[in-house]
Amino acid sequence: MQEALIQRLRSAVGHEHVTARPDDLRNYAYDGSIDRAAPEAVVFPADAAQVAAVVRACEELRCPYVARGAGTGLSGGAIAEFGGVLISTARMRRILDIDAANRTALVEPGVVNAHISAAVATLGLRFVPDPSSQSACTIGGNVAENAGGLHCLAYGVTSNHVLGCEIVTPQGEIVWLGGRENETAGYDLLGVFIGSEGTLGIATKIAVKLTPQPETTRTLLAVFDSVDDASKAVSDIIAAGIIPAALEMMDRLSTQAIEAYVHAGFPTDAGAILIADVDGLQESVGETAAAIGDVCRRDGAREVRLAKDEAERERIWRGRKSAFGAMGRFSPSYYVQDGVIPRTKLPEVLAEVEAIGRRYGLLIANVFHAGDGNIHPLIAFDEKVPAQVDAAIAAGADILRACVARGGSISGEHGIGIEKRDCMNVQYAPSDLALMAKLKAVFNPGGLCNPAKMFPTSRRCGESARTLQRADLPEGIAPAAGPAF
Amino acid sequence: MLNLPFAADLRKHTGSRPRVRPDECARYSVGGCTPKLVFSPHNAREAARIVSALRQEGAAVIIRGAGTAQWRPPPPVSIDAVLDMTRCDGIVEYAPADLTVTVGAGTKFSDLQSALRAQGQFFPCDPSHAAEGTIGGILSGRRDGALRQRFGALRDNVLGMHVSLSDGSTAFSGARVVKSVAGYDIPKLFVGARGTLGAIADVTLKVAPLPQAEAGLVATFERLEPACQAALDVASSPLFPSATTLHDARSAHRVRSLGGGLHDGHAWMLVLRLGGTRGAIARQADGITRICKAASAAAASGVRIEMVAQAQVQHAWADIAELACGAAYSPATVAGMKVISQPSHVAAVMARALSLGPDTECTAHPAVGLTFVHVRADAHVSTAAPSGLRAFANACEAHGWSVEFLFAPPQIGEHLLPALPLRAPIALMRKLKAAFDPSGTFDPGRFLGGI
Ligand SMILES: Cc1cc2nc3c(=O)[nH]c(=O)nc-3n(C[C@H](O)[C@H](O)[C@H](O)COP(=O)(O)OP(=O)(O)OC[C@H]3O[C@@H](n4cnc5c(N)ncnc54)[C@H](O)[C@@H]3O)c2cc1C
Repeated sequence: MQEALIQRLRSAVGHEHVTARPDDLRNYAYDGSIDRAAPEAVVFPADAAQVAAVVRACEELRCPYVARGAGTGLSGGAIAEFGGVLISTARMRRILDIDAANRTALVEPGVVNAHISAAVATLGLRFVPDPSSQSACTIGGNVAENAGGLHCLAYGVTSNHVLGCEIVTPQGEIVWLGGRENETAGYDLLGVFIGSEGTLGIATKIAVKLTPQPETTRTLLAVFDSVDDASKAVSDIIAAGIIPAALEMMDRLSTQAIEAYVHAGFPTDAGAILIADVDGLQESVGETAAAIGDVCRRDGAREVRLAKDEAERERIWRGRKSAFGAMGRFSPSYYVQDGVIPRTKLPEVLAEVEAIGRRYGLLIANVFHAGDGNIHPLIAFDEKVPAQVDAAIAAGADILRACVARGGSISGEHGIGIEKRDCMNVQYAPSDLALMAKLKAVFNPGGLCNPAKMFPTSRRCGESARTLQRADLPEGIAPAAGPAF
Repeated sequence: MLNLPFAADLRKHTGSRPRVRPDECARYSVGGCTPKLVFSPHNAREAARIVSALRQEGAAVIIRGAGTAQWRPPPPVSIDAVLDMTRCDGIVEYAPADLTVTVGAGTKFSDLQSALRAQGQFFPCDPSHAAEGTIGGILSGRRDGALRQRFGALRDNVLGMHVSLSDGSTAFSGARVVKSVAGYDIPKLFVGARGTLGAIADVTLKVAPLPQAEAGLVATFERLEPACQAALDVASSPLFPSATTLHDARSAHRVRSLGGGLHDGHAWMLVLRLGGTRGAIARQADGITRICKAASAAAASGVRIEMVAQAQVQHAWADIAELACGAAYSPATVAGMKVISQPSHVAAVMARALSLGPDTECTAHPAVGLTFVHVRADAHVSTAAPSGLRAFANACEAHGWSVEFLFAPPQIGEHLLPALPLRAPIALMRKLKAAFDPSGTFDPGRFLGGI
């Protein structure tokens, strides 16, 4: 990296808040996905002005830069694919203001998701989006990925709960998109910034909407002999006009992995398990939970259990939330997919997922947001065996194709990043992608802000070597790196 | 500016026959301005072909649904062509069990609701001009109603859309399923863009099951502040009503099915729409009653509370939805504005609006911080001179509230350029417009900041 750039970074954020030590850099070569690449420097700005100074330095010296929250992303969004500068929000983790009367809070991007709800709990409020990673992931990362969560079935995803963002644009300007009101005049730029995977600028403040806590929540566990029966129950619950707060499914492989890991009390011989949360006023929750139980029994549930107390509720949800971790114990590596299908197509797609696993000789467990039709096949493989890595990636791509063939989407909440960019043209036509490219150029004309993410390269969907080299970048972006630092 | 001899040729280029007869074109006028040509495309591709041909001639094109928003100021200076979207209509695909529906943008909102209701579902929005308005127009104008309190705003319930652009291309973005983060969420840009970026040809919406039961609660207050306070307290409680509207005496008077007026010196009416299981409704009513009483007791002023049955509240809502700058007011004599503020500022917004003069009328959606202000704007009423409205808008801006003029008589409207909120990232908005519609074909000059 050019010495001149390092100097600029140091004067922007302070000497001690820049690192270029190889040992440090290695820690930032990862996120939760498969792809790896280390940055050449990591900076830790303290506020928007410092972020803007860093961005201006990178833009002027034509060096790529990438924002990073907690690095829990599952699509390679925070990977510094071309080296360059990683801008960490780790020092921007203050909750700046809580306005209970208007049900909003203003927070910095490095605030951990779960900390927001914790900070407003005594006011009877919460921040609804609750990704399973909520005890680690940051609100900045949630905004960038438009993260979902267990309770987005009834309450919506991140974009439904963010009112405004202060951002640093790739021109190094600090602007607000949206605000603290429920609406803003003009184009909804906030709407496209959310879910833009760090390619349109860097969020430096986020105004979130807070929601009253429900009075009561009941949790229901239904045990089925087959995935088909459980899937049918999902469709029938929705068709009965019931939208539970959460509706999650796990197949046998995942319940077995979870039981071995956390003992959540799931029967390990079941074909599939459904977990439903029903929340609201005491007067209606019991009735709705009973109605869900009836649908499940009608669809062949062999057992329907209503959590009798908070402890049991927690145990069930802890089991669900530890599913990915459990897979990590069960297999040397696992690869999470994130396709969406119309929920009525669950049985046929899950059957196809199983067939794909057989075809590649890989075990695939399913644990997912059934109510939304957002499937998360967990493909077990061994990262140290190159052939298995290739097979896992190819199997993942086949699953995504199966989703698109049913009118679905290649990502429900984890984003495209590096991981699925070459599958974008499975879902979108060239003219669709051209409009997205136009939008990107409005914010990020030089392309240095999280370069090359989200858009297809010359590779094919499912091809293995997915990261690019600097030489692969379009001309003009980050030409010859300066003297190695 | 378009030359008409060429217009005849357009048919060859686009395969679509425009209307050219002045009497026919007059039926598609916008803000009193009659187009020279009217095209009625049947799908996204045809719309894109037409627009691209028009763009090459340097034409100014206005996209039109049912024309219910045509009096938005300022009126167009001249219109070459109207793109009438009402032929892009009908349900393309409806999967009740997936809670999604795909419809042509020209579909009437009321037709869509009937089709959904037949399956026990609805599109959870209560826009103004619900009878004639088209889906495309309602989305483009961001005509949210008070139901957004419980069900989310329009932007939250749009999943994907096909758009036709001025370069002749069509593009799909978003998805046909209830959840997707693949690529930029471009549909959000078209919601509220008022047809300045491109034409929405079809759209996939997230629908909701009809509530098991509904009811209403009407609370009339002596004073404004406790009414607003009660609305805020309810919105912060776990009672989750579907919608809250607040009316001054004139606005209340227009809700005929709720008695059409206030008694005992009460000047403010708060209407809460409740939904869910019967048990939940009883509990909501009980909780809201307590909150209303506590708020008025704290202000040492009176309140009266009345429950309203399901049929009556649904009936009343047809009136209430039209009080948000809707069909309740005639743009020939009234100017309508939407003021966006924090919910806790609604009382102040209403008080300031009513000080505009005795002919002012307000309806608010206090839980979400929107206030709709209507002012008599006959030539004779001096308070409604453009300078008065402009001064009001400026005063609002100074408080951090933003004002959108939604309709006005043309002689006033021509002086009402959209106010530019201080913090709006107008440079980015201009770049966006330039990227999506580089020749400025779509409705030039009437959007925020003169875009
Ligand atoms: C065990 C596990 C469970 C998970 N469960 C869920 C789940 O249920 N639902 C779900 O949606 N996701 C889930 N995820 C994925 C992940 O946690 C989310 O995508 C999360 O939003 C990422 O946040 P982060 O802070 O880790 O972001 P990072 O991984 O650090 O970054 C993600 C992206 O955000 C960008 N970014 C970060 N900060 C900013 C900023 N301030 N401005 C602009 N861009 C920024 C980065 O450039 C990158 O593109 C899970 C991940 C794991 C490991």
